[in-house]
Amino acid sequence: MLAFLVQRISQAFLVMFVISMIAFAIQDGLGDPLQELVGMSVSLEERDALRDEMGLNDPIYVQYVRFAGNALQGDLGISYFYGKPTLQVIAEHLPATLELVIGASLIIMVFSVPIGVYAAIRPQAFLSKFFMGISTVGISIPVFLTAIMLIQLFSIGVTIEVFPADTGWGAWLNGALSTDGGLPSYGRGDELTHLFGTWNSGFFSWNGLLHLVLPCVSLASIMLPLFIRLIRAEMMEVLQSDYIRYARAKGLSSGRINFLHALKNTMLPVITVGGVQLGIMVAYTILTETVFQWPGMGLMFLEAITRSDIPLIVAYLMVVGLVFVITNTIVDLIYGLVNPTVKLTGKKA
Amino acid sequence: MALLEVKNLDVRFAVRGGDLTALRGISFSLDKGERLGLVGESGAGKSVAAFSILNLIAQPGYIAGGQILFEGKDLAAMSERELRKIRGNRIAMIFQDPMMTLNPVLTIGTQMVEAIKAHRRISTKDARAIAVDKLRKVQIPSPEKRLDQYPHELSGGMRQRVIIAIALLLDPEIIIADEPTTALDVTIQAEIMALLLDLCEQENVALMLITHDLGVVSQVSQRMLVMYSGRIIEQGPTREIINDAQHPYTQGLINALPQMGEPGARLFQIPGAMPSLKNVPAGCPFNPRCSFATDECRSTMPDYVRAGNVDVACYEVERLIAQEQQAREVAP
Amino acid sequence: MMTATVSRWARVRDSFLWYSFKRDKVAIASFIVLLAMVLSAIFAPLLAPTDPYDLALIDIMNSELPPVGMSGADGAFPLGTDAQGRDMLSTILYGTRVSLMIGFGAVVLQAALGIMFGLLAGYLGGRVDAILMRIADVQLSFSTLMVAIIVGAVFKASFGSLMFGEIAIYMLIFIIGVAEWPQIARTVRASVLAEKKKEYVDAAKVMGFRTNRIMFRHILPNTLSPIFVIGTVQIANAIISEAALSFLGLGMPETQPSLGSLIKSGFDYIQSGSWWITLLPGVVLVVLVLVINLLGDWLRDVMNPRLYKG
Repeated sequence: MLAFLVQRISQAFLVMFVISMIAFAIQDGLGDPLQELVGMSVSLEERDALRDEMGLNDPIYVQYVRFAGNALQGDLGISYFYGKPTLQVIAEHLPATLELVIGASLIIMVFSVPIGVYAAIRPQAFLSKFFMGISTVGISIPVFLTAIMLIQLFSIGVTIEVFPADTGWGAWLNGALSTDGGLPSYGRGDELTHLFGTWNSGFFSWNGLLHLVLPCVSLASIMLPLFIRLIRAEMMEVLQSDYIRYARAKGLSSGRINFLHALKNTMLPVITVGGVQLGIMVAYTILTETVFQWPGMGLMFLEAITRSDIPLIVAYLMVVGLVFVITNTIVDLIYGLVNPTVKLTGKKA
Repeated sequence: MALLEVKNLDVRFAVRGGDLTALRGISFSLDKGERLGLVGESGAGKSVAAFSILNLIAQPGYIAGGQILFEGKDLAAMSERELRKIRGNRIAMIFQDPMMTLNPVLTIGTQMVEAIKAHRRISTKDARAIAVDKLRKVQIPSPEKRLDQYPHELSGGMRQRVIIAIALLLDPEIIIADEPTTALDVTIQAEIMALLLDLCEQENVALMLITHDLGVVSQVSQRMLVMYSGRIIEQGPTREIINDAQHPYTQGLINALPQMGEPGARLFQIPGAMPSLKNVPAGCPFNPRCSFATDECRSTMPDYVRAGNVDVACYEVERLIAQEQQAREVAP
Repeated sequence: MMTATVSRWARVRDSFLWYSFKRDKVAIASFIVLLAMVLSAIFAPLLAPTDPYDLALIDIMNSELPPVGMSGADGAFPLGTDAQGRDMLSTILYGTRVSLMIGFGAVVLQAALGIMFGLLAGYLGGRVDAILMRIADVQLSFSTLMVAIIVGAVFKASFGSLMFGEIAIYMLIFIIGVAEWPQIARTVRASVLAEKKKEYVDAAKVMGFRTNRIMFRHILPNTLSPIFVIGTVQIANAIISEAALSFLGLGMPETQPSLGSLIKSGFDYIQSGSWWITLLPGVVLVVLVLVINLLGDWLRDVMNPRLYKG
């Protein structure tokens, strides 16, 4: 176990090192702190002197070491736009994204397992085919489009007038298919509950929850079909194995067979794939936050790009890189703990 | 009344373009404590026969007709709920490859205890005690430790012992063993087989042994049946069949054994191959490979005739018996 | 010696591929729809009623007209107009064209990169393999979309919006191609590793062929089949990635929009009720991606039923 942790942590350091180099390269190449600090009217000599003072004329590896050293102490520069330390800006925006991800993950977990399992046990059932069909379509719809459609349907509302309104059935259909909308589609609302530090939560007030609905559903909508398909495929394969047939031969109930014997084996590859999807989730968060103007990290990053706020961009990359590395390691750890055939030295038994 | 009686069992596979028949009108019986061997080539239908008793044939297979009478009740007509009470409880199964049979993510203990608790109201502690007891019976060292281990931590031979232990957990009447030693190392095959035999004798458990190994059958079983292309072609006391096989196919099988050949001479081989499910010939399925085949063989399926204590489905045998009969009537 | 020559067409006709295609209605339907879309995109200049980017032809008085069937529609603009008065049908046709160009371009690039790196990693092994696969792993764990966003962001920041917009189409092909090479590289590498063990490679080595030749002329053809399957799905992915990038403002500019940027610019008007400006390009995008995915599914089932679990 220890060997595993050491190996993974050293890998993590390596990756962070590379990321920091890339981030530094971006900063060095694009950012010109001087431009932001002084106006046009400063003479060239004064600029040069300032450069020297700020250490901008030092050789590149010295600058990098300074950069890395600062980073390790938690100093990732000052945002051009906000005028505050970048890490603080990030800390202020992080909780919003976190809540979005938590909400979407809950939805995914609650729905994907039962639907996936059901579709695997009864592949011929109408519901199974229905869900699988929706999944195929779902994968083809990019997340921002789902968000827009959800906004149209549940925020703005849709009035259907296609069917003849003067007939009973026509009017009923029109009514049934129309929606009133009303769900908020902008931002997090006004009623956020302060938890600690910079974390203002939307989970503890009705208004906050309402604001969470559409964004979380949008974010979940792209991952849900993926997981449903994955669970179904894995489970169907597992159900063909000998040990399932043997479990039946022992006279076990189908409930136990499906939800213990089969499911445990199914979830192992799902955990691995799930871990990978985390990366995709971050990208989709950026898209979702853009649509809903959700004040999270993704929107912050995008605005930083538009404003050429280089320090913030660089800080964001570092933080995201760190988050990736940590979550990947945790996912591997969880997999190693759950799968008895894997000894945590990283080698298979 | 026999413990298990299979009557005219018909098993088919539903595939595109029509059903394929895997078992055609199989009939045999098993008495209490008796050891029956099912012999045949791959694809003859012996595994299908074994699995069909507990209705565990893999989809798209299904039981198309016939009866499987266990203590008088027809298993083929039973609901899944009723069958579950019998599986693992009164009739247990041993599969071929123990590595594939045990669930890799659950401990041995879990897999043993659940088998007991599925059929008895008993505490986990007591169930574990029974499990340990049976593990000891199959001669596994440190049985208590094994309960908390995972299948991949045991050797192949030990895993199969565990499977045998599981089969005995609820003191079944019948154990159906589908090629129990084929996937094991040659060096321990004999050991495991001997263990299984021993335990069945001790507990007076009936054993249905499916195998392609005539040597094992001759040592272990009291009665045997030979399957070919979904049909039983010869059935009777093992000693009689091994010593004096009647059906040309059985004769061929025995002649093909290396022990039967002369040192340095070519090993005997039955010409041709067993037909696949799609290409079963009319009449007796063996006729394309049989040196005695007549037109009758090629058109109609032969009925069983008795030669000594053995039932054989062969027109040639029928003819020979009739000849013998005549000869006896002539000479006083 | 008489050899019966079977025409190429006859061989295709008799092949399993064709047989399976004919029997799968979904595949046929998808293919027809895709063909229609591709053709209309290629011939967009001929098919579009107007050239939506000719400033002289746009009249702001025509802005925000709904599609035919709703009140206030104008027959000259069957799918309505956008906020500047541009005909939606035309913008969508041109937009599809851009999306498809980028989709295909990106896949060609990522295939080239992926094949090259996959071959190198698989055949040379050792450190080359370790380094390449490590890079691929990290890139994949960040998710290709994220990598595309980051690279796009950096390029936009360094080139500036205006210049970025002018070369956007090449930028996007480059960005997406670079972001997505790991998938193909991994597949190729796996194929190469499997093929390397086969006997014909030893035979070629014994005959003294150089590494390059062995790789390209012997191993590569055998690894192409999985690439076709992945390639199809990757086209759909590339189109979605491009749409996402454009939606974020890191893609095609308004003057040469793709379906993604059409959706983006239309989104501002959804609150005022002009849903067609954003949703019509959206529907077209979904249909395009859907049919490509369906064809990809069919292709995967046909070429290797158990290998790709998606």
